[in-house]
Amino acid sequence: MKRLSPGRALQLLWTALAYLFLLAPILVLILASFDPSKFFRFPPRSLSLVWYEGALASGEYRSALTASAIIALLAGIISITTGSLAAFALVRFDFPGKRLIEAVLLAPLVLPLIVWAIALLQIYAVLGMSGTLLGLVLAHAVITVPYTVRIMVSTFERIDPSLEAAASSLGAPPLAVARRIVLPLAIPGLVTSAAFSLLISFNDVIVSSLIAGARWITFPVRLFSQLRSEGVDPITLAIGATIIAVILLAAIIGEYTLKWSRHL
Amino acid sequence: MRSSTPLLFLLPAVALSAVVFLAPFAWLIYASFKTQGAGSLLMADGLTVKNYARLVADSYFAAAFVRTIGLSALTTLLTLVVGLPVARLIATGSGRAKGLLLALMLVPLVCGALLPSLGMIHLLGPLGVVNGTLKLLGLTTSSIKFLGTTGGVVLGLVQAFLPLMVLPLVNTLSRLPRDVEHAASSLGASPLRVWRRVILPLAMPGIVAGAVLVFSAAFTAFVTPQVLGQGKIATFGTVAYQQAALVLDWPFASTLAVVVLVAIGLALILSAQFDRLLRRRRLAA
Amino acid sequence: MRDTLSRRAIAAALAASIALPAMMAPAFAQDFKGKTLVVGVWGGDIERLLRQNVVGPLEAETGAKVELVLGGTGDRLARIYAEKANPTMDIAFLNIYEAPQALKDGVVEAPDPKSPLYTEIWDGMNNGCYAMSLVGLGIAYNKKLVSSPPEWADMWKPEYKGKIAVASYPGSEGDGLLGVAARLSGKDEHDADAAFAKVSELKPIALTYTNLDEAFAMMDAGEVAMAPMISGYVLAALKQHPDIGFSFPKNPGPVLVRDMLCLVKNSPNPELAKKFAELALGVKNQTDYAEQLYFGPTNKNVKLPESVSADVIDTPEEVSSLLQLDWPYVITQRSDWTQRWNKDVLGQ
Repeated sequence: MKRLSPGRALQLLWTALAYLFLLAPILVLILASFDPSKFFRFPPRSLSLVWYEGALASGEYRSALTASAIIALLAGIISITTGSLAAFALVRFDFPGKRLIEAVLLAPLVLPLIVWAIALLQIYAVLGMSGTLLGLVLAHAVITVPYTVRIMVSTFERIDPSLEAAASSLGAPPLAVARRIVLPLAIPGLVTSAAFSLLISFNDVIVSSLIAGARWITFPVRLFSQLRSEGVDPITLAIGATIIAVILLAAIIGEYTLKWSRHL
Repeated sequence: MRSSTPLLFLLPAVALSAVVFLAPFAWLIYASFKTQGAGSLLMADGLTVKNYARLVADSYFAAAFVRTIGLSALTTLLTLVVGLPVARLIATGSGRAKGLLLALMLVPLVCGALLPSLGMIHLLGPLGVVNGTLKLLGLTTSSIKFLGTTGGVVLGLVQAFLPLMVLPLVNTLSRLPRDVEHAASSLGASPLRVWRRVILPLAMPGIVAGAVLVFSAAFTAFVTPQVLGQGKIATFGTVAYQQAALVLDWPFASTLAVVVLVAIGLALILSAQFDRLLRRRRLAA
Repeated sequence: MRDTLSRRAIAAALAASIALPAMMAPAFAQDFKGKTLVVGVWGGDIERLLRQNVVGPLEAETGAKVELVLGGTGDRLARIYAEKANPTMDIAFLNIYEAPQALKDGVVEAPDPKSPLYTEIWDGMNNGCYAMSLVGLGIAYNKKLVSSPPEWADMWKPEYKGKIAVASYPGSEGDGLLGVAARLSGKDEHDADAAFAKVSELKPIALTYTNLDEAFAMMDAGEVAMAPMISGYVLAALKQHPDIGFSFPKNPGPVLVRDMLCLVKNSPNPELAKKFAELALGVKNQTDYAEQLYFGPTNKNVKLPESVSADVIDTPEEVSSLLQLDWPYVITQRSDWTQRWNKDVLGQ
């Protein structure tokens, strides 16, 4: 057994504290969801599952969660198809304006989304698209595409192009090369992209709260409007805590099986 | 494959980004030169620079701008200070522990801004966990205010964006040999000296990448300052939102947006220049 | 070049895919089966009563579906303005300070003076939209810290310094407080300098709340002494908080606040919307509003038992004793006042 040097011990302690800080709000959210009073107080005077029962019984939240899921799914499909095609072109081909195109695709990562959403609201209004499912899905696809592009660029960079070249030289048509060689190797990246797109879209509040239509109020939009008007319904805490738990689980599984973090 | 193939592959994604993402920015520039009719919330005809004049004339917006830059810089610095030792530990780690640490680091990235902010409210609020604990320990009788203060907002931003600093750092530091500290200290260098002379310089590309990500995320953040600042800490994001969604002054909100865009553009150009400078230096060395 | 072309083509395709369903809709329908009425309204108890008294019966009668889009008035107002050319919402519940503006900008229907909806409501109430309920801005107070029901001026007493909570701005609570503060200085809301100077004296503000439960929890904890609040919800919630009281001050009186029911102009389902409005403004729903939420009825035909009537603003005489702000003027100041509130009251 190696003896722990003081420097190393300090580093371990520091890391532990950093993680405590990183996860504290999430843990507190979970704790608060078990407090049966209408406004969480620490220490809670009692614990109960009443808000979880409320969550299961509530039709409103079910429809909000369904809306979130539908939008996330559709946006995710657009994001991984368009994003991985683009990533493939970026990795395998050389062409003029490559840097510019890459910048355009990654722009939503650095440009202010709140500002963009304000403009999009106005444009959608002019096009008569405000509040439509199509409008929301396109907006969500745009904010998730950069994640797919980044993840898939790093995935394709790891796939040896000589494999494709070898298959082609043996007479395999391009489509077969793509299906038999590239696709299987790209599966971990695709799954990672899909997971990121789904989660980012599912949890988006900035864009959706401005452009979400009457029929497509997503769960985060509902939560955000509660925060600004009638107050947070503790049932939403229970749902939020559940979402966080699912994300924690997904992240752990994703990291162990697919090495998610390496792709970012 | 033919030369048109890359174009075909790129077209869907680029078209999507160009039409849905970039086109609205063009609209913003146009709308920023419009104004609302007297006593109306609808846009009036004609173009004007009134909004820009208002922006310049009112010190409130200059203050919000400076405050936002300050908050973002502080957030960047704190994520670096907190994140660097963590990243080094992860980079030198192995096996399950490393995987778990990385997995947990991903969580704030994908759970959106709202849920952690909601947790922060219950953590830092007057009746929340921190104040509750302090009162239980008898350290205070009345609540200490975190929400609605700059400190509370910075805490929220650091929590939200720490992964944006740590992940690029882990990537860079993983390329360092694992026992750099050991090798250097066996040559008689103090740990502090090893960090300053060896690890920090080699981590520079990761630091720059992380800093750009954290700074721009903090600069444009809206949910975290809005929720944790309780409307008291005006940042550019919250002011733009207030004007657009509550006051319904879209032309003015657009003007704010254009200013943010110009600022972000400048920051990106500067960081690219800095990155180039770093690379040239390294080549020279 | 090719890029511009494709961009245009996509925009056209998008526009077409949206316009198509609208063109296929039948011009006139007796039966409302398959139709969906969209109503923007607050969540919580209001939602519960509307579902029970309006949504249920309306769906049963017409076969249509009613969707309640829950949220604050800001969300709804932004939506109906953005969708002016192409509304998706049929009814929006707004505040009194928003309704006249919305009418002026042509995003809501003017109330029809000949309709029974209009004539059943107390005269002079339908500014901009149909008046739905009457509430007043009074003071919620912590009985342990404030011994008797406070007057407005008491909020400025030195012993309560740092213990006053206010609602987030923009909102009717803030506008009402500004109107009251101006009057305490011998002016009115048209003198914003006087109003803001007076409100600024309340600094430091103990809490900017967005949420009644949060404010009540702070009162129970003894950290907030008083907060201007709108009667209604507050009175209903006080049952759970024995240590919190509510005062309707006399000098000046409580600020009259009205919730308005607005029919969105050119909405997809105008007939259904009218039916919804009739039920919402009807005797049954307004009686329940008064008895359960302490929201004063606007319908002349509502008769309340004595015990309820005491806590509720339900007669024109009571209304005339309330402080009425010049709401159409106030809304034109919204942008400037929001900024001044941020700067002067919250101290940014």
